[in-house]
Amino acid sequence: MSSLLRWLGAALLLAGAAFLLSDYHNDVYRKLLLWVTLALSYNFLFGICGQIAFSHFAFYGIGAYSVVIFLFQFHLPFPLAILLGIALCILFALAVAIPSARLEGFYLALATLALAQLFIVVLNEGGAVTGGPGGLANYKLPEFLGTRIRGPWYTAVIVLLLLGTLAVLWRLDRSWFGRACRAVRDNPEVAAAMGVDVARTKVTAFTLTSALAGIAGMVYAFVDNTVNPPIFGLDNAFLLLFMVIVGGAGRHAGAIIGAALLFLVPFVLSPLIGHHHVLVFGVLVVAAILLQPRGLVGLYDAIRRHP
Amino acid sequence: MPSAAILEVRGLTKRFGGLTAVSSLGFEVREGEILGMIGPNGAGKSTTFNLIAGTYAATQGEVRFAGEQILGLPPHRIAARGVMRTFQHNRPFGGMPVIDNVLVGAHTRFASGLWAVVGGRALREETQRRKRAAELIEFVGLGELPHADVATLSFGQGRLLEIARALAGEPRLLLFDEPAAGLTLAECERLAGIIRGIAARGIAVLLIEHDMHFLLPLAQRVAVLNFGVKIADGLPEQIRNHPAVLEAYLGSHAAA
Repeated sequence: MSSLLRWLGAALLLAGAAFLLSDYHNDVYRKLLLWVTLALSYNFLFGICGQIAFSHFAFYGIGAYSVVIFLFQFHLPFPLAILLGIALCILFALAVAIPSARLEGFYLALATLALAQLFIVVLNEGGAVTGGPGGLANYKLPEFLGTRIRGPWYTAVIVLLLLGTLAVLWRLDRSWFGRACRAVRDNPEVAAAMGVDVARTKVTAFTLTSALAGIAGMVYAFVDNTVNPPIFGLDNAFLLLFMVIVGGAGRHAGAIIGAALLFLVPFVLSPLIGHHHVLVFGVLVVAAILLQPRGLVGLYDAIRRHP
Repeated sequence: MPSAAILEVRGLTKRFGGLTAVSSLGFEVREGEILGMIGPNGAGKSTTFNLIAGTYAATQGEVRFAGEQILGLPPHRIAARGVMRTFQHNRPFGGMPVIDNVLVGAHTRFASGLWAVVGGRALREETQRRKRAAELIEFVGLGELPHADVATLSFGQGRLLEIARALAGEPRLLLFDEPAAGLTLAECERLAGIIRGIAARGIAVLLIEHDMHFLLPLAQRVAVLNFGVKIADGLPEQIRNHPAVLEAYLGSHAAA
């Protein structure tokens, strides 16, 4: 009961903040919430299950593009467009994960890198369906029950997305499935001896987290009301990886802290030092990898243990 | 015969290229029985072990568990049927506390699916399994450490964790890979007590051991391997003075 109240409190607090912000700051806030959402699901895949994949942002893109294409190119009803978008993410995820799961981790990295690149090519060459390099724009969130969710209310939807994602991952992490994921990450051979189907665990984790990225992408599609190829490129895929590493891979708190920090760094630093903020960013990532492989959360733990 | 054989091995053979590591090996283990398997280094003990657990594919032969052929099944399927193992070099999952390590051992015993996990309906089962895991941690004598980081465990405690983790899978056959290796004398005595307690629960125990002083008082029957072949099989007191065993362990001069 108290846990439900805590979640409710978090929802009210995070959503309430949106009503105090200007339009510009609401936009920044929404992107922050989306980055945190993505980092949470990517952390489950990379940090908890130990799979090095570069396709998370591509799945975010597949979700965003598919919902827009199904709604406005094929004129499908809203719920159907969402379900088909999720189905598409699951299909692509299975197509990549099943062949990769039987091989060493390196091949998943390559396969997902290829998928991410291929996705951008398809977007650019997709003609009228994907809108080519310019993408798709000039669409609006369909009305639902006679009203269109707008402004801070849409920010509240993103808060629900974030908390929903966290709740799902939280429960998965504290179950036989989460332990199997960690066991597969730490030592696949011993995990198998304990009865864990290693290939199946990897495929399930990859598909689940990719679908969560796709759902986040669908929500993103109505933030800027435009989707275009550069957003879903590899730059952001790597940024996501760095967020999880800097914050502390394998911990929900790490993903949240890392995403918030790396997302906000440019906003704070670029007025002060211009484009040199990229340098600060690079130093931060290298320092995290060299000095504290368990990230900022690991640093916090170390300080708390030996004050 | 007190009870039926749960594990039957017949004609088991494993060749690595030109080397025959295990050759037409046959033996059986009954429920609640402790079968010791000894032999000098390179005798094929660990290979036999890995063949039963499914880590290696056999060249030839038959391994029947509870009447069914398990040879050729992947390791996780064999574990799910009730064959659990410990590792000679402790291999805990580093990113988890002691109790979560034990819960990984119980992986195949969870009935709730992923939807139940996400929907929260699996929470009751999780609580029950957690309680059971704590009992197993208590049973092996790590009672005060369920939430300890596995990195802080001593070598001997790590070995006890291996046993609790294997027991969590509710095995009908437990394979011990040199459980006494690296333990102090006091730890060995405690370990022998635990293994007897496990057999007393009706679990069949197959124990590979290098150390005869540990094994002979503990095992009810002993099989001796040398160069991949079973050279003797019998009660511990028969094995102690068996000429072939003395020769394998001490060289031909000792036997003469």
